[in-house]
Amino acid sequence: MTGWVEAIIKIIEWPPLWQLVVLGLIAPLAVVIYILWFERKTAARVQRRIGPYHVSPRIAGGLQLLADLIRYSFQEVIIPKTVDKAAFISAPLIALILSILPVVAIPFTDVPKWFPLPMDYSLILALALVTLSPLFIIVAGWASNNKFAIIGGMREAYLIVSYEIIAILSFLAATAMTGTYNLVDIVHAQTGWKWFIVLNPLAFFTAFVGVLLSTSGFPFEIAESEHEVVAGAFTEYSGLMYGINMGAAYLKRMIYSLLLTVVFLGGWYPLKPGEGFIWGYLAPSIVIFIKATILMMIFSFFRAVYGRYRLDQAIEIAWKILFPLTVIAFGLGLLEAYYGII
Amino acid sequence: MPPRPVEKHVHPRGIFSRFKGNLEAIAIGVKYFFDPKRSTLIYPKEYIKLREGYRGFIVLVKNKCISCSSCARICPAAAMKMVKVPVTDPKTGKQRIKKFPVINYNRCIFCGYCVDVCPTEALYHVPYHDIVYESMEEAVTDLESFQKEPEYKTAKEGLPVRYIVDEVKGLVKIRVKKEGGEKK
Repeated sequence: MTGWVEAIIKIIEWPPLWQLVVLGLIAPLAVVIYILWFERKTAARVQRRIGPYHVSPRIAGGLQLLADLIRYSFQEVIIPKTVDKAAFISAPLIALILSILPVVAIPFTDVPKWFPLPMDYSLILALALVTLSPLFIIVAGWASNNKFAIIGGMREAYLIVSYEIIAILSFLAATAMTGTYNLVDIVHAQTGWKWFIVLNPLAFFTAFVGVLLSTSGFPFEIAESEHEVVAGAFTEYSGLMYGINMGAAYLKRMIYSLLLTVVFLGGWYPLKPGEGFIWGYLAPSIVIFIKATILMMIFSFFRAVYGRYRLDQAIEIAWKILFPLTVIAFGLGLLEAYYGII
Repeated sequence: MPPRPVEKHVHPRGIFSRFKGNLEAIAIGVKYFFDPKRSTLIYPKEYIKLREGYRGFIVLVKNKCISCSSCARICPAAAMKMVKVPVTDPKTGKQRIKKFPVINYNRCIFCGYCVDVCPTEALYHVPYHDIVYESMEEAVTDLESFQKEPEYKTAKEGLPVRYIVDEVKGLVKIRVKKEGGEKK
């Protein structure tokens, strides 16, 4: 009997499983469900409404999202006759997988025993994987054979061109400061509250706005703006497929938040990973997840405040304001490294 | 002559004023987040208590009616109809036919013309209009039900509130008494 328990604990502790399934899928899903509730409640609070309420009045409508999830799960999935079936079905699934996959390259501890991959080039790997998933949103829009979907996909393409370089460059500012692509070393450089958000706030700001642009959060919810292009590339999807599409954007934002936490918010500090599974792996991951959840809450707070930029306004902001700021942030990082502040 | 197209020139804002605008917007959002001024009416639990003179459901006072048919004639939606009822003349004691109005709430638009035009004030409004009928036939009154004030079930289950415009806070919801005046 005890042998079974030990075996199960061994399997859970196995880094690829723990990091991909527990930290990569289950925990972000739980955070995303909480964040969706938080987003609706915050928007309602700021806009003088009440928000979800009648499903469970005692816990402020907390079960509303669960009810929505069940509804999406049991809705009929309609696949129109005019779509390209293979691409139509596979594109959102690949986009979902690719938006979760970067978590393999994010370290949740500095004990090499728990790394799922060698961490030498983890920042580059995480950024490369993160920027793959929007391609499949374009594929989904194209496969839908619907004018709204194609327009939504094209808007996504425009936005990729404008935000990708900003997001990547502002994350690479950390590399300019430390001279390494290793995320563990980048976290180690932030000991003693020398978090990179303090040392290089400009890079954090541009990365923050880049993440908002890339995950179509307000005020850049352009690719699936409801009033103009119904649901963008996801217009033809229904039921669980639509839920996957919408969830993929939030999961991607969650993974981006984890990356932001590791690169700019000091990773697992102020906690130092110790010995054993609990202090060496579980506790640092919880610290990182708490920081990332706070970031997600700030992201979703913008929904309550902002309207939506037009496509040309967003691209203008990206190229005329954010791109120069990113370059300045990169230079600031280089200067700090040159004068040895890091 | 058609109006000439005029080229509107919007002065482009500088980077700093844009940043300032964004920060102000976020500051207002944060302020409302920590001090929400909700004004939602939780309907079945609360209801808006309307004032006297509101054009709600219409009630007939049969004794005052002189059967002039003005209400039926002025009704723009043709909701009001006259029905013939045999009555006994109180002076002569003879049987005769008299006309009385009945109303069809499927058609009524609550304009209140019938109440205004009535020369003897035989019709009056009650200050509520949220009543649910289960069928179309139920919404057509006969002479008996037209003389009674319809039952206001929302008032039995919910609490009466009223919205006022406050100079500082904006739209404010206040609790009022069920009968009569306001309660601050």
